[in-house]
Amino acid sequence: MFEEASEVFENMFKASFPLSFIVLLPAVLFLVSPLPAEAAHEFTVYRMQQYDLQGQAYGTRSSVLNTEARTVEADVLSRRCVIMRLLDFSYEKYQKALRQSAGAVVIILPQNMSTMPQDIVQQFMEIEPELLATETIVPVYFALEEEELLSIYEQTLTSSSSQGLASAAEVLLHTATANGFQMVTSGAQSKAVSDWAITSLEGRLAGVGGEDLPTIVLVAHYDSFGVAPWLSYGADSNGSGVSVLLELARLFSRLYTYKRTHAAYNLLFFVSGGGKFNYQGTKRWLEDNLDHTDSSLLQDNVAFVLCLDTLGSSDSLHLHVSKPPKEGSPQHTLLKELETVSSSQYPEVKFSMVHKKINLADDTLAWEHERFGIRRLPAFTLSHLESHRSAARSSIMDVRSVPGKGTQVDVQTLSRNTKIIAEALARVIYNLTGKGAPEDLQIFTEQMQVQEEQLSSVLDWLTSQPRAAQLVDKESPVVGTLEYYLSRYLKDVKRHYVKADKRDPEFVFYDQLKQVMNAYRVKPAIFDLLLALCIAVYLGVMYLAIQNFGLLYSVVRKVTQPKAKQH
Amino acid sequence: MTLFHFGNCLALAYFPYFITYKCSGLSEYNASWRCVQAGVTYLFVQLCKMLFLATFFPTWEGGAGVYDFVGEFMKATVDLADLLGLHLVMSWNAGKGEYKIMVAAMGWSTAELVMSRCIPLWVGARGIEFDWRYIQMSFDSNISLVHYVAMASLVWMFTRYDLPKSFRLPVTVLLGVCVYKAFLMELFVHMFLLGSWTALLVKAVLTGAISLCSLFLFVTLVHSN
Repeated sequence: MFEEASEVFENMFKASFPLSFIVLLPAVLFLVSPLPAEAAHEFTVYRMQQYDLQGQAYGTRSSVLNTEARTVEADVLSRRCVIMRLLDFSYEKYQKALRQSAGAVVIILPQNMSTMPQDIVQQFMEIEPELLATETIVPVYFALEEEELLSIYEQTLTSSSSQGLASAAEVLLHTATANGFQMVTSGAQSKAVSDWAITSLEGRLAGVGGEDLPTIVLVAHYDSFGVAPWLSYGADSNGSGVSVLLELARLFSRLYTYKRTHAAYNLLFFVSGGGKFNYQGTKRWLEDNLDHTDSSLLQDNVAFVLCLDTLGSSDSLHLHVSKPPKEGSPQHTLLKELETVSSSQYPEVKFSMVHKKINLADDTLAWEHERFGIRRLPAFTLSHLESHRSAARSSIMDVRSVPGKGTQVDVQTLSRNTKIIAEALARVIYNLTGKGAPEDLQIFTEQMQVQEEQLSSVLDWLTSQPRAAQLVDKESPVVGTLEYYLSRYLKDVKRHYVKADKRDPEFVFYDQLKQVMNAYRVKPAIFDLLLALCIAVYLGVMYLAIQNFGLLYSVVRKVTQPKAKQH
Repeated sequence: MTLFHFGNCLALAYFPYFITYKCSGLSEYNASWRCVQAGVTYLFVQLCKMLFLATFFPTWEGGAGVYDFVGEFMKATVDLADLLGLHLVMSWNAGKGEYKIMVAAMGWSTAELVMSRCIPLWVGARGIEFDWRYIQMSFDSNISLVHYVAMASLVWMFTRYDLPKSFRLPVTVLLGVCVYKAFLMELFVHMFLLGSWTALLVKAVLTGAISLCSLFLFVTLVHSN
């Protein structure tokens, strides 16, 4: 048969040249053409954090993935991509997958966290820091639920759990009908981002009456943190802190416009970046202001520094200090005023002071005020959380609205906390207690009221995008809008940049945090062999049929012959 | 093993052609050059059809789900050019007697195979993703082979001067069905919402019926003398 074929080709080539070229063209295409990509399904996936902080590596180390999908129930997990749903997620399963050297892990989260039962949310929040602490070489991705993704999950689940089937016939049938999925990411391997600048913003309201006025600093960090940077919206921590800060800026700038209410205190507002990464923004700002400039508000006469962190829910307020304030100091005055205001005007609020010494041996500092404390500035942090280790400070579950308790930010609570802080500050800067004002005097009423709509809209805007420090760069709209807002109310609004040191970087961020993952439907290799066998059988039958076409011909002839003979 | 899959599909598509070429005795007549000529005529006819369609038929602006019966019918009518092309091939060169039919049909369907199936198979069957569609495409090319043989024989019969009057009608009807077969298939799929394998089966049955009828007519014609 093949000699005939070569004869055919020979004749063709002898006949004319252009024709042989047509035959050669497929061979050229063979060498040149690239493989196309047509996936069963594409979806966006968000990678787990990857960063180095002070030389210590955290999170997942890789981003590239091209493996077959399986669920946890399968026997063989090595070099496979393990898909898990949040509902079935547990730390033991995750560790099991890693121990069996899985190729990657993909965790499917529901689109709307409110459909999750509260205990699962809570459990996941507790696990998040542990996920980051264990250094994982394989990529870990989070994906939001979609119909197609769920169907892929279901199919993978059925094929994974049926891997222990007994009979060979069933296995064969299974290979013919089932679909496997190959998960492939399109991006490159992750690498460190060089020259990332963390932006912070400052603005001030100058006091009246000459030089050497005492300064009060109000600080809040605007970035958010979670197990996946693109999914960390940070509603309570620290979206609430930033909205309180902005509202205070508005209120006090209003007071400072009128001569009668212009106080003899400088107010310095600082919106810091990199807060979740050991307060890098604050650290560098302090260094620049205290070490590298000759005169700065921070050097001369700082009354105290009040840091705002997580004020969006619950009925307790804690003032965290690293050293109990001395009697007679402005710090102590603020503490007293806060107690007074909260006990007389809002009796439902449980206010207390929490004393925690700065522990420099820890990997990260507990609260933002500790940065100021290290530089010998009197500082404290106000928060509704009692402990700095609370999981709510660094969770992707911290979103704007989760019906039920836990991480929901309540605007009424927020406005109440804003009012408490504003009243206490006013009492300090105008020395109201010294002048004998009554305990339940309310300054911020009527025109000077705390505007809940303002708070709510700022919070909505802040939580509408992820604000992880790796995602907010110089040109980010978050920074631009904050700058614009501050410059409406404050003077001398300046940006401040932090870049990691070249030789010994305090923080290193990595890219490839958001990818498009393709899921290709694949069949196992056995299937191709099976198909080849079937095709060979079919071709054999074809061959026989065509060889014996003459038989059919004679049958038809016999059938028609009698008719013809009758003519 | 995706190149393997491509090999599977190609084998499934191409081998019957090769077997037919070898077994029908064409190779003894060195008819390969004539087959290629028929293939070139196929290309030319398709080009003319495309130009005609592009020039004279407006694009369908209706909704997505609605099937433009009249438009598609008109487009299918243009496929009459296929018949003309086959006739041209057969009258022009192809060799003697009944081998004309085989030569024309082989050349025509091989050209169709190369032009309309090789590239999708190459591009699609080689990818990571598996789809049954490529196997179906290969089966489809087998069915086309039979279809074109039947069509060529019908055209040959139509142009014979010694065709009895009683045969003219069945031949014309069968020719019409041949030309509109694609249109009919789309109609069926649309009306009965057939799955892809079912549609393939229906197509095979239809082609089988047409070819059997044409075989009957052919045998009667040839052996009635």
